[in-house]
Order: sequence, then C-alpha cells, then structure tokens
Amino acid sequence: MSEPAAPQPPPEQDHLEVKAVLLLSFMLVLVVASALYVMYARGLFESTQTLVLMSEDSEGVVVGMNLTFSGFPIGRVRRIELAEDGKARIVVDVASKDAHWLRQSSVFTLVRGLVGGTNIRAYTGILTDKPLEDGAVRTVLQGDAGAEVPKLIAAAKDLLESVSTLVSKQGALGASFGNLQTLTARINGPGGALTVLLGGEAEAKKLITALDRTNALLARVDGLAAKADAQVFGEKGVLPETRATVVQLNALLGDARTSLKKVDAVLVEAQAIGANVKDGTSDLKLLRGEVEASLRKVDGLINEINRKWPFARDAEIKLP
Amino acid sequence: MMLMAPWRDLLARTNHSAQKWLVQWWRLAHLGAVLLLLSLSPSSYKRADRLVLARHVYDNTAPIMTSFTLLCALISLVLTRIVTTTALSYGLSQYALQVVIRVLVLELIPLTAALFVALRCTIPDGAELAELKARGDLDTLRRQGINPIHREVLPRVMAGIFSTITLAVLSCVVALLVAYVTIYGFNLAGFAGYTRLFGQVFTPAVTLIFIMKTLLFSLAVSLIPMASALYGSAVNNTRTSAEMRGLVRMFAVILLIEVLSLVGNYY
Repeated sequence: MSEPAAPQPPPEQDHLEVKAVLLLSFMLVLVVASALYVMYARGLFESTQTLVLMSEDSEGVVVGMNLTFSGFPIGRVRRIELAEDGKARIVVDVASKDAHWLRQSSVFTLVRGLVGGTNIRAYTGILTDKPLEDGAVRTVLQGDAGAEVPKLIAAAKDLLESVSTLVSKQGALGASFGNLQTLTARINGPGGALTVLLGGEAEAKKLITALDRTNALLARVDGLAAKADAQVFGEKGVLPETRATVVQLNALLGDARTSLKKVDAVLVEAQAIGANVKDGTSDLKLLRGEVEASLRKVDGLINEINRKWPFARDAEIKLP
Repeated sequence: MMLMAPWRDLLARTNHSAQKWLVQWWRLAHLGAVLLLLSLSPSSYKRADRLVLARHVYDNTAPIMTSFTLLCALISLVLTRIVTTTALSYGLSQYALQVVIRVLVLELIPLTAALFVALRCTIPDGAELAELKARGDLDTLRRQGINPIHREVLPRVMAGIFSTITLAVLSCVVALLVAYVTIYGFNLAGFAGYTRLFGQVFTPAVTLIFIMKTLLFSLAVSLIPMASALYGSAVNNTRTSAEMRGLVRMFAVILLIEVLSLVGNYY
C-alpha cells in the first residue's frame, strides 16, 4: 500500500465491506451445501436396514459398492470383515424405502466380470413372500468369470496336449496313419488287397492256388454231371427203364384187382354160408331150450321121487 | 593440507546453503504460525483492519471468479465429452462418470484454482509487498506503532486463502453440474444415480484428503509469496531474484501436496 498511514475510510469502503461479507457468505453457503450434498450422497440421511452376506471370499468387494436389484442400486456395502468360521462377512446397508424388494426367498450373488468391478446382485422370485428382516444373514452365491479362465486354460492345455500326443508319430493317430500308409502300399503291391486281407503274399498265393484247384474240380464235377445225366436220362438210362417197370407194374396191379374181385365173390359166398351157420345156431338154441326143459322136468321128477322116498333125509335145520 | 582445502570449501558452502535453506523454511513456518495466531485474535478484526481485509478479499476474488468459473465450465465440458465418448467407444460408459468426477473435481480443479489464484492475486500481492518493503513503508508503519504483518501481510494471506477455497468449491460445483448436463441433459432423471456415484467416489478418506489438499494449496499459494517478499532481501546476493525463488518454492510445495494427495487417494 502506498498510503500506509491509518486510512480514513472513503465512503465506498463501507460498500466494499458489504460486498466482502456477501462474498464470504457465498463461500460459506457453497461449502456447507457441498458438505451436505456429500453427506446426502454418502447416504447419511437415509434410514437403512442391515443385511449380512456371507461369502467364501471378499475379493473385489469394496466398501461403498452397490447392491443392485434389477440393475438398480438399493444398498451399499458398509463393512467387510472376517467371520469366525473364516468366511467373509459383507455388511450391507439397504435403504428402507427399497427394502421391500428383498424377501425371505431372495437370492444374492457375487459376480466378478472379466472387465470392471465385482457386482453384488439380489434376485427375488416371489415378491409376495415375507419381507427380509433387519440384520438377516444370507449366503451369497459366487460366480467368477475370472476364476473360470485359468480352469479353461488348463482344460485347453490338456486338450492340446492330448491332440498333440494323438497326432505325434508315437501317438495313436500317427500310428494309424503309418499303418494306413503301409496298407495302401501293400494294396498297390503284388497280391493287392488279398495280401492285406490274408496277412501275407504266401497266403494270397495259397488262396489263388485253392481257387485254381476249385476251378478244376468244378470242371470235373461238370463232366461227372453230364455223365450222370446220360446215365439217368439217356436212352438206356435209369429213368426209361423205370417207366417200363411202372407200366408192367400197372398190368400186374390190374391182374391183382381181378383176383381181388374173385376173392370178393368168394367172400360173398362165405358170407352166405355164415348166415346159414347163424340160422343153424338159432335152431340149436331152440333145441337147447327144449333139452333144458326136459332136464328141468327130469330134475323135478327126481325131487318128487326123493320126497316120496322113505329114506328121505330130514331136510329141516333145527335151531339149538 | 593444500589438497583438503577445496573439500573444506565445498563442505563450508554446502553447510552454508543448507543453513540458509533451513532458515528460509523456518521463517516461512514462523510466519505461518504468527499469521495463524493473528487470524484467530479478535484484535485483527478492528474496523480499520476489517476494511483492509474486505478490500483484499474482494479484490482477490470477485474479479477473477466469473472468468475462472467460465474457464472451468469449458474445461469440464470438453473433458467430460472426451472421457464419455472414449469410454463409450470402448464399451466402458458406466465408468465414465466416475473418471470425470475423479479427474476433474478431485484432481484438476483444486490445482487449477490454486495456480490461478497464485498467478492472478498472490504473486502480484507478494510483489506489491516487496515493493512496500523496498520503499520502507513497512518500517514507517512500524514506527507508527502498527504491526506491518498485522496490517499488510495478514489481509493478503487471508484473501489468498479465501480466494483459493472459493474458486475451488465454486468450480467443483460448476464442473459437477456441467458433467451432469453433458451426460444426462437437462432433466433430473439421472440425479439419483449421479448422486450415488458421487457418494461412491467421495468416501470419507477421499473427502478428507480433498479438504486437506485444498486447504494446503491455499496456504501454499498465499503464504510463500508473502514470505519471499518479506525475507527476500537476505538473499539478494544470489543469481535469482527473491520472487523467482519464492515462485519455485511455491510450485515445489504445490507439487509435493499434489503427489501426497495422489498417494493418499490411490495407494
């Protein structure tokens, strides 16, 4: 200041003081409003209920992160601590106005993405279920895309190793290809496919020889058949002879039939004789009846004589 | 013995420099303590002092407030646009807003406000104080029974602190509004989500570091130029001027505070 002596304040300085006070007030308002906004944003003015999520590990979970329901944040992580059983205890503050989305049957998941942070999500299937009570403890289901990657890589490595083993010369596929190559070489070689089928050139030759011999045999069988044909069906063969025999047999059969007719007539006569015998037999029956009657009369006569005879025995039986 | 002489000179020079360095820092700390005490003493707010303080506060803040706020709004708009567009192209738009809040509000704006106040107010104030001292006005005041620190230094330092804090807070608010409007447009649909995200960024630790950083920035830019002006004559024999040395010291301190805040926030 060029005028350091105690200044006599000019009239406009009063005005300046007011401006300064206004400026000061403006700053204070700004600071207080900012502080209140930060507190509001931190959730200091909203009533909450506590939810405790038990997790196998709390990796990726940070204090202040959201609990979302259908993508909307309804709570935030207040504290992460280690429980007595070694699990992570994630204490979540759920805003009271949003707490009705959480029910007894709600499921909580902790999902780690490949990119970005971890997410805690709530799913409620039955919205009519009983509301989740304050201080409820739930186990969180974990899904970790990041943890799957090493497993995937390990599996892929195994697969690649298997494929490379399979494809290598010592491997099954390599050996198969080698065998196939040998096979095709042998098919192209002398003996062809027969060598492959029978296992060796000598065997193939044997088969060919067998075939040749079979052919010869068949030729001979053919000749034999022709001869048999001549013998069977020839002019002096078996069959014409048989036919003549059959004719003769027919004549014989005619003679036999005639003889049988004669026998038939004889039998008729014998039948007539039989009938006569039958009549004779009926006469005998009459005769026998007459004889029996005569005998009965004789018997009666004897009985009569016996009764009349003095030496007749006492025929009575006396009871004691 | 002759060979030892250069070493002895070197050691003596180093010792002298270290001593000077320590003395300067001690003077700075001492001045800060004295000003703190004075600022808490009711006798510093007598009418004459109040008027001087009001003039400095008003002169240091009001003229640059509008321009700085506009500048911040422009920078916020551009940066928000760049960040959101880039994030969108990488499919990471859900993280864009957090990046904007962290980069702009937490890091850039307090630093920019401090540097702006230093360049526009406190460094000129320091030069003015150095001029007063060179002219002997401070001695005249002392002879009149007025403490020059009380009358000339305290209002300037307080005005610098006030200006830095006001600009930082105002610009943060403007940057937040601009970021909101750039992303959501002129409607309140995204306010709840935006507030929630803001709350996630401003954890208690981050908020404390932010407040401390802003306060330390304001102290550094207000106090160091004054200290350089007051104690500058002692180092007139060096190559660089006292103001220049004060400036270098101020930037070094600002850098140190920024680095410490980054360490606090991200480690």
